[in-house]
Order: sequence, then C-alpha cells, then structure tokens
Amino acid sequence: MSYGPVSRLAVQLNRLRLANPILVASGTFGYAREMAAYIDFRQLGGVIPKTVTPLPRLGNPPPRTVETPSGMLNSIGLDNDGLDAFIEKHLPYLLSLGTAVIVNIAGKDEDEFVAMAKRLDEFEELSALELNVSCPNVTGGVDYGTDPAKTEAVVRAVRDTCELPIIAKLTPNVANVPEIAAAAAAGGADAVSLINTVQGMAVDWRRRRPVLGNGIGGLSGPAIKPVALRIVWQVAKAVKIPIIGVGGIQSLDDVMEFIVAGATAVQIGTANFYDPGLAGRLVAELERIVEGEGVECVADLVGTLSLPSPSCHFQDVASI
Amino acid sequence: MKLMGLISTPPGMRTDAIETTATVVEQVRMARDTYRLRLRCPDVAKRIVPGQFFMVRPSTGSDPLLGRPFALYDVFEENGALAGIDFGYLVVGKLTSEMSRWQPGDMVRIWGPLGNGFPTPPPGRLIMVGGGIGQTPFLAVSREASGARRYGRPARTISANAERLTLLYGVRSREYLAGLDDFRRDGLTIRLSTDDGSEGHHGYVTELLDEEIASDPPAAVYCCGPEPMMHAVSERCERACVPCWLSLESPMACGFGACFSCVVKVKTGDGWDYRRSCVEGPVFRADELVL
Repeated sequence: MSYGPVSRLAVQLNRLRLANPILVASGTFGYAREMAAYIDFRQLGGVIPKTVTPLPRLGNPPPRTVETPSGMLNSIGLDNDGLDAFIEKHLPYLLSLGTAVIVNIAGKDEDEFVAMAKRLDEFEELSALELNVSCPNVTGGVDYGTDPAKTEAVVRAVRDTCELPIIAKLTPNVANVPEIAAAAAAGGADAVSLINTVQGMAVDWRRRRPVLGNGIGGLSGPAIKPVALRIVWQVAKAVKIPIIGVGGIQSLDDVMEFIVAGATAVQIGTANFYDPGLAGRLVAELERIVEGEGVECVADLVGTLSLPSPSCHFQDVASI
Repeated sequence: MKLMGLISTPPGMRTDAIETTATVVEQVRMARDTYRLRLRCPDVAKRIVPGQFFMVRPSTGSDPLLGRPFALYDVFEENGALAGIDFGYLVVGKLTSEMSRWQPGDMVRIWGPLGNGFPTPPPGRLIMVGGGIGQTPFLAVSREASGARRYGRPARTISANAERLTLLYGVRSREYLAGLDDFRRDGLTIRLSTDDGSEGHHGYVTELLDEEIASDPPAAVYCCGPEPMMHAVSERCERACVPCWLSLESPMACGFGACFSCVVKVKTGDGWDYRRSCVEGPVFRADELVL
C-alpha cells in the first residue's frame, strides 16, 4: 500500500514504493506508539517496528545497552511478545498511522519465516516484510545471514509464500557482504537493508566482566557510519538490487552520503533514541536539498558517487 | 506470561512529553561532585510531577551520544510563571563531567516529562528514604506533600501533611550531603546517616528506618538509591506490612520505551517478565518487583 502524493521524494524499490526515502530502523522506534509525542508519522517514508518472532521472547539479561565513543552497544535479544500479540496489540495502531508499515520478522529456521510471512500476508495494508537474518544477539541469527545459500533459500521460501515485497536485512559481520546481497537478490528480495549492527564488546576490567549482560552485543550509531557507507558502496557496485542504507545517520548530510553511495532509501536508527524528532525533520530538509541540486527527483541522486570503484569488490578495501 | 489484549499505553508512556532546547540558567555546587542544574524549559516544567524524569544531552556532538535520565528536583518560576526545572546530579561519567562545565546561556536538549512518577502521597505518615544522589526526587515529593507547591497540569490535588513527613537520607560521608537547606524549608523531619559517622547516625539509613517503623509506622515508604539499599528497605517494609515504592535507576538509552534497555523483573501470574522501567516505572511498588 502506498502513501502520500507522488512527489520528487518518492522512491521505488522493485515492488515497494515509498512516499519518500526516510524510514526508521527496526529496534530503534519501538512499535511507533513510543514515538507519538515526538514525531508526525505521516511525514515518514515508512516505519519498521521492532523485530517480531513467532513466539514471545524474554530477551537478554540487563544491562542491555552501553554507550561507547560516538555509538552504543546493545544486546536486547529480540525481546518481544510474539506474532499473535503483535497482530493483536500493535498492528492495528501501526496501520492507522498514515505511513507505510514494514514488518521486521525473525525466525530460527525457514519454516518459521514462512509461517510468519503467510500470516502477515493477510494484511494487505502492509507495505513489505523485512527479514531479519542478521540479529547478532540471538543464537542462530548471524549464522543464517552469514551463509549465502541459506539466505537465498529463506528469501525464496518467503517470496513463494506471500505477495508482500521483501527486504533482507544483512549483517556486516561477514567477509563478503556483496555475496550475501547477491544471494538475497537471487532469492527474490526486492531490496536489502545494509547494515545491521557490528558485533562488539565493552569490558569493565576492574570487575573482570563484560559490561553487557549478554557479554557481546551490536554496535550502532555514528561510530559505524563509515563501515555502513563502505558496504553500501561495495554492494551497489556489485549487485543489481535496491539498497536501504542504515548505520549512524543523524543529519541530512549523512542521508545524502548514503544516497550518493548507492542507497535508494535510508533508515534512521540509533538517532531515534537521542533525537526522536529527527526522521521527520530530515524529510523536509531532503525536499529542499533535492530542489537545490536541480534534479527531478531524489532517485536521480542515487549512486551518483563518481569515485572509481574498488578494484576488487570481494576483498577488504584496506588490503587493496 | 506476556500480556495479551490488555495494554495499550503503559502508565509512564507520556503522550504529553515534548522534546525541546533548554537554556542553562544556573549551575550550583551542592556537595562534593554534586551539582544542581537549572534549565529554562517552561513546557516541561508545567507538565512534570514528582518522581518523573527527563532526558538531557548536549545540543550538538556525538560523544557523549545518548541522553541521560535525571529526576525532577524542583520547578522554578520567573516573573510569577513556571519557567523551568532543577535537577541534581553526581559527576560519574562522560556526560555528567561535561555537564559540570555547562555555563549559564548554554543550550542543551531535553525531552520529558517521562515515566509515571510517585503516587500522590497517602493520608497519614510518609517516610522518604534516599541514598546518595537518590535523595533528589524527594524535594518535589515533600514540597507537594507539605502543600508548598502543586505540580502537573491540571495541578494534582493532595492533602497536605507536612508534620507527618520524614526524610531519611544516607550518604558515604558528610561532604556528599546535598540540598539540606532546600529540604528544611518546608518543615519536614530530616534524619541523616553516614557510612563513616561524619554526620548523623553512623551506619546505614535502613537502621534509621527500623527505628521509625518501630516507633510510628508510616502509611507508605518511598525509596530511591543504590540497589542494595532499595532491596534492604523493601524487605523491612514487607516485614512491617508497610506499602513501599521504589524509584529505579536502570541504564536506559532513550527514556521513552523505544530501546527496551531498561528492563526490570516484574512479577506476573506465573513468574516474572521483563518490563521497561522508563514507561512502566521508574516508580514501582516494591512487592511487584523480583529483587
């Protein structure tokens, strides 16, 4: 389902059409209700609520987050009430917001992904599914998204099951993201979200303990923006699939960096925690910059970075 | 068991919260490593009630990145109108170190009010137990309970009972005692304890609570402080069958329920579940918690 007037901000990611390219990232926006005091949802390109799993999950023991230089580590562990509760408690509210709703789902195997997709396919007001094949805080999550064959298989299975556009959210914690992105494309994904969090750790050396209750976690925020840009750039050059850039965006300049590097849309993530009105403001600012750049629409700016591409996409840039 | 079909808005999920830029009005040293910051932000001041909190961060930069939660100390007026909020803080990390250098005129970001706040004080005797910087929420509680000030919009109505208010306040050492003159203004009873005996009772604040419960059992106890202290206070209240509320200080990233960081174990029909202390608390009845 598409929202908003046709404008120069509208973007198309295969079957998914968005009124503008500013989305909010799963896990950083609650179920939207939490943000209602701070943001006009109708301004956004869409919202992606917190990951839903088939059954309720308690999540990891606290402390679940810790701030690190220009970033934060989290190990929430997909704390959620399960799909039934999501459909009953959160979906009606989400679908009333006047913006695109993309449901982020995670299963522990292909069957779980398929069962969830089948159930959510009944809600034709939904705009897309985002497959979380990359959560670093859940056993099995990373393994799934680090294997190209498994990634392709789960995307294909979901695509065969439901009509909704499919986005695969990929992990940066692999040697070769373009290979995984190509697998997602081969499976029939409409787009890939790049990147999920970068695995990291904080240590309290005096107590000889990790700071997070779960030991390790996922790094997000401005600290990972260069990593995300590098991966968006590499995937854009290597694979023909629309990219949704995510990682440390907190200003319009950040948005533009992702767009020229090859992202058709972006997700605002950690910044929602410390600047909850940001995503809405960025849409207005983006409108002005597109006007100033003298292009017809924002899509004309995607991938316009003119630096020479890395000589080898499948190697660590530092080693080239 | 997870709640189903119930919910929808937890008590501390504030639809009236706002995010705004606030101006630093003054910075006052209260005690060792302890300061009171006054921010001009009338829209937050009008809405907030005792025990609620707000998040504060610098207006620019990304290190420190996240806001930090601070409890309301009091609101203040300028030219007869509510103008902003005061909060007390202890310098413990990156943001609070930077904060201690903020000057009048500096602009900062604030969002709130957040959380549920303390319930309106019961008729009868109220004992507030504060440990360390955990005494700061109790100035607003005692000002409201003594009838010195009203909070919220519309203003909350309560029956004033200043002579039945007691603050038990414990710190490591006398140089950490903060804001005693503010507390004394409204005529409540104050008893102090220090770990090193440099002021008041030599020992724990919970020993003072034992004496108070034995001599004149209160209608309720409100408590905020280090976790072991809150644990000890809630045990004593349970034994004495005195209702006890705890204001928790869980690490949080956003303050409004989006991040799911600040979870605490809350009892349910068949065990316990993690609940976000920012929107379900930060004030909980002690007997609801798995401590």
